[in-house]
Amino acid sequence: MILDLHSHSIVSDDGRAKVENYCQWIRRKALSLDGFVLTEHRLYDDESDYRSLEDEFGLLILKASEVETDYGHVLVFGVNEDLRAALDFSRVDLPLQEVLAQAQGCGALAIPCHPGRTRVGMCAHIETRGLVEGVRIIETLNGGSRGEENATALALAQENNYHSTGGSDSHIVSHIGRCATRLATPVSNMDDLITELEAGRCEAVVWESEEWISPN
Amino acid sequence: MDIAELKKKWAGWTFDEVRFEIEAEPLAEFSLACGETLPRYTDPQDPNFQAAPSFAARFHGDRALPEGFPSDREASFDGGKAVDWKAPIRPGDTLIARSHIHDIFEKTGRSGGMMFIVHRMEFSNQNDEIVSIVDWKMIRKL
Repeated sequence: MILDLHSHSIVSDDGRAKVENYCQWIRRKALSLDGFVLTEHRLYDDESDYRSLEDEFGLLILKASEVETDYGHVLVFGVNEDLRAALDFSRVDLPLQEVLAQAQGCGALAIPCHPGRTRVGMCAHIETRGLVEGVRIIETLNGGSRGEENATALALAQENNYHSTGGSDSHIVSHIGRCATRLATPVSNMDDLITELEAGRCEAVVWESEEWISPN
Repeated sequence: MDIAELKKKWAGWTFDEVRFEIEAEPLAEFSLACGETLPRYTDPQDPNFQAAPSFAARFHGDRALPEGFPSDREASFDGGKAVDWKAPIRPGDTLIARSHIHDIFEKTGRSGGMMFIVHRMEFSNQNDEIVSIVDWKMIRKL
């Protein structure tokens, strides 16, 4: 199963894509994608209901968040009321250690994203402040990262035996599916997805030469 | 800078109000400049002639920010505009545009911390019908 684990809709302040248009694009371009996760910036979208789009387009559409920490940006899967009560998602300086701990305590999963980017990625902060206990998975393929940023992320994962995920980080329709995550077992909801990610039954992939390629 | 305090003090109240008289020729010129080809946007003789959906983005008020708002022009840049079309704008309309700070928030990017100031202009016509809402983002490096 192939899921894009990092995307933004118009719910994010800088998102320009409607979720329906993502679905239309995936089908019209016949992208080899089984679904995507909306990781809106600094908030959790508890209002939008995409079940009718899932049915219409035969795609899995899940909701998560991208929060901002002292070690860069972090995707949070399995956001629930307890976690939202514990963390102020609108902050831009959440302590990563606290995000990891609170996510684990609330049954969610925190994954540092685009770690190779300056300032908003984990690698630069590790250089000055060291590794953070509790990180087990990082995003090693990000569709919005430049040049060597994904290579830096992959090196970090390999050095520390982190599991890896991929996501397009799309903000516009045509960027969905630039990178994705291959799951060994199909999932149908957020709980199942977290189970697979925590077990490491996942790998970051990019679409090249008509197939999903893992750079690992 | 305390973003929450800034938002509490400056967001949500009207600080500017301006009036615009709408004429046919600028509507058609704007549409053509945008690459529109539909006659209802480009031909003043079309029975359904109206402004292109993003037309209201061309207007500016008398003030970008409320008087006294702490600004730093050298560290600021334009973050673009988003237009929410509500109803047609047609020749002969008189539009009233009211401006307020809709939101102030902070985020981080490759270049560091940034503050976003969202200036919202709400355009109403002579019938008090809202025809367009334009959000203009101003970005300031922190």
